[in-house]
Amino acid sequence: MDAPRRIIHIDMDAFYASVEQRDDPSLRGRPLAVGGSPQSRGVVAAASYEARVFGVRSAMPMSQAVRLCPDLAIVRPDFARYRAASQQVMAILRSCTPLVEPLSLDEAYLDVTDNLWSEPLATTVAKQLKARIREKLQLTASAGVAPNKFLAKIASGWRKPDGLTVIAPERVERFLRQLPVEALWGVGPVTAKKLRAIGIERLVDVRSADAALLHRTVGSLAEWLKRLSVGDDPRRVQPDRPWKSISGETTYAEDLEDAQEIRSEIERLAQRVAASLEKKKLSARTVTIKVRYADFSTVTRSYTGTAPTRADGEIAAQAVALLERTEAGRRPVRLLGVGAHGLVSDEELPPAPESLPFGP
Amino acid sequence: MELVKAKRDDLLAPLAAVSGIIERRHTLPILSNVLIERSDGCLSFLATDIEIQISARSSLDASGAAHAVTVGARKLLDILRALPEGAEVSLNLQDKRLLLKAGRSRFSLQTLPAEDFPRLAKPAGEIARFALPQRALRRLLGLVQYAMAQQDIRYYLNGLLMVVEDRQLKLVATDGHRLAYATMQLDAELPRQEVIIPRKTVLELSKLLAESDEEVRVEVSSTQAGFQFGTVELVSKLVDGKFPDYTRVIPKEHKNRLQIDREALRQALQRAAILSNEKFRGIRWVLTDNNLKIVSSNAEQEEANEELEVQYSGDGLDIGFNVTYLLDVLNNVSGSVVEASFADAASSTLICVPGEKEFKYVVMPMRI
Repeated sequence: MDAPRRIIHIDMDAFYASVEQRDDPSLRGRPLAVGGSPQSRGVVAAASYEARVFGVRSAMPMSQAVRLCPDLAIVRPDFARYRAASQQVMAILRSCTPLVEPLSLDEAYLDVTDNLWSEPLATTVAKQLKARIREKLQLTASAGVAPNKFLAKIASGWRKPDGLTVIAPERVERFLRQLPVEALWGVGPVTAKKLRAIGIERLVDVRSADAALLHRTVGSLAEWLKRLSVGDDPRRVQPDRPWKSISGETTYAEDLEDAQEIRSEIERLAQRVAASLEKKKLSARTVTIKVRYADFSTVTRSYTGTAPTRADGEIAAQAVALLERTEAGRRPVRLLGVGAHGLVSDEELPPAPESLPFGP
Repeated sequence: MELVKAKRDDLLAPLAAVSGIIERRHTLPILSNVLIERSDGCLSFLATDIEIQISARSSLDASGAAHAVTVGARKLLDILRALPEGAEVSLNLQDKRLLLKAGRSRFSLQTLPAEDFPRLAKPAGEIARFALPQRALRRLLGLVQYAMAQQDIRYYLNGLLMVVEDRQLKLVATDGHRLAYATMQLDAELPRQEVIIPRKTVLELSKLLAESDEEVRVEVSSTQAGFQFGTVELVSKLVDGKFPDYTRVIPKEHKNRLQIDREALRQALQRAAILSNEKFRGIRWVLTDNNLKIVSSNAEQEEANEELEVQYSGDGLDIGFNVTYLLDVLNNVSGSVVEASFADAASSTLICVPGEKEFKYVVMPMRI
């Protein structure tokens, strides 16, 4: 067996909200939500810890957040600033090891088993990283230190904000015993409910579950859950993790009912995705669209063409054609999204004829 | 009751003409049937797949009261085909069964009521009507139909754009990577129409049109297209969608022009295609003064090299193509010489036949 690895998961605390509070002293100490306005049906992208006391959570409709916390300060997101702060954070992490795998703007895994600082104790590395982030950016991060990604991620969320949780290899078992089934990587509310229905409440219950029953309940996830339940996660930290997909979506202030308008919105989103592909020099094998109707029911449709593409006209045409397979227009629509998947770089592209430039 | 008595071939021809569109699998059992109708001393056959409807009159004399019935088309066709040529055949109705007699052969087929047979509605709105020789329409279709897409998600590409404007009939087909355009003069001043004819209709029509100077009468409305020729009448629904703006992608003539013997090029490409990658079908054209080199290679690193003497004095060029796209056009145009013109290796190539302004083919290059 391999020697135990030392993995750190760094999670910035209420990242967008913290950046806002740092840059605007009048917002400090106040409940704050970053997101769209409650009138235009925006959602909370991030909530400060002061706001979380009131029950405000990210992804919650802003109107609900305001009901929970009438004094809530609301700021529109400024992603350029968050991205800049994120780049500074990642630079600090990379000063320790090139094995940094960003998961989003505010989260990353590091493998510090061998690090540039020659620091043998991962706990010391984590403390150092947190200190440097605080010093350089005036922001706090929570860190989890563990022998693998799965445990490191749970650990970083264990004490927040500004937390540091270490799960040494010999304490893994004790740690796992206290976890609910939701802690398993890949188990969301829906899967959790299914697992509870077959009597699995705690993570460790997965170990003793009947393999066939587990497989019937969660399908191909079963084997993976069994593995995680004994604290085994072999996934490596992958620096420069390749883009898996690129997508864009918009929630509309008012439901869209006009088929023509829905169509042009899908075209606009598709063009944005195509522009993003162009910038990254990637092409998509598969184009997907997402339609959320006014009653919140959501459908996705996908199409895989003969050859990968990033031509905006083609992606837009595929996305619009997928729209025909939904009820958009006949039913009012609240959210639209377009995604590009199965991304390949120019070097990986199979030979293929170019597309005729019909334009958008 | 006797429906008709006729020579086997007089029944077979119209039945075969209408049966081509019948799908093997469908939800409505009656759609695998053919409607046989006797009225006004005439016997006719009619088949439909809901999108297309074809009827064909038989030339034989069928007097008697008007009557109609439907019967399994495939079986009737197979029976008639299997009977000896020139056999005398009679069709009789007896207790909801169709009795087919020929010599000492007897067949009893089940029927479904004619009233249940679906028919396409009459066209609505303004109609553009024109006529042209069957040969001419057949030729025009042949010039473009191979460029239609097949089962593309952009469903409007799985068909043929038909535009009537400026006393012209224009046909356009594209699969998004290449486009074929053909046009011809019409005699009459007509209301402008722009419709997309489904792929299946186009293929069926090409098959049925004869190489003759007899007329085909065309009716185009915003909901249907109808074609009447000989004893056949074909009516088709249209593809509802917006065809891409073809005028944007047909270039004016490029400065780098190549003239080449069509047959020589076609044969060279066919040979080179053998060693092109089976899946991607890429080949390269390397152009220098009066010389065209065609190069292909496959995954096993096998290589083909063809060199052709051509008329070319443009820029040196190295451009990749899907060889199928080139063979398609060369197989379908007439004329001993073709002209290809290029802007550069990244832009579209225009292929025409010198002296024939009515045809244009645009093909995009291929990254190899």
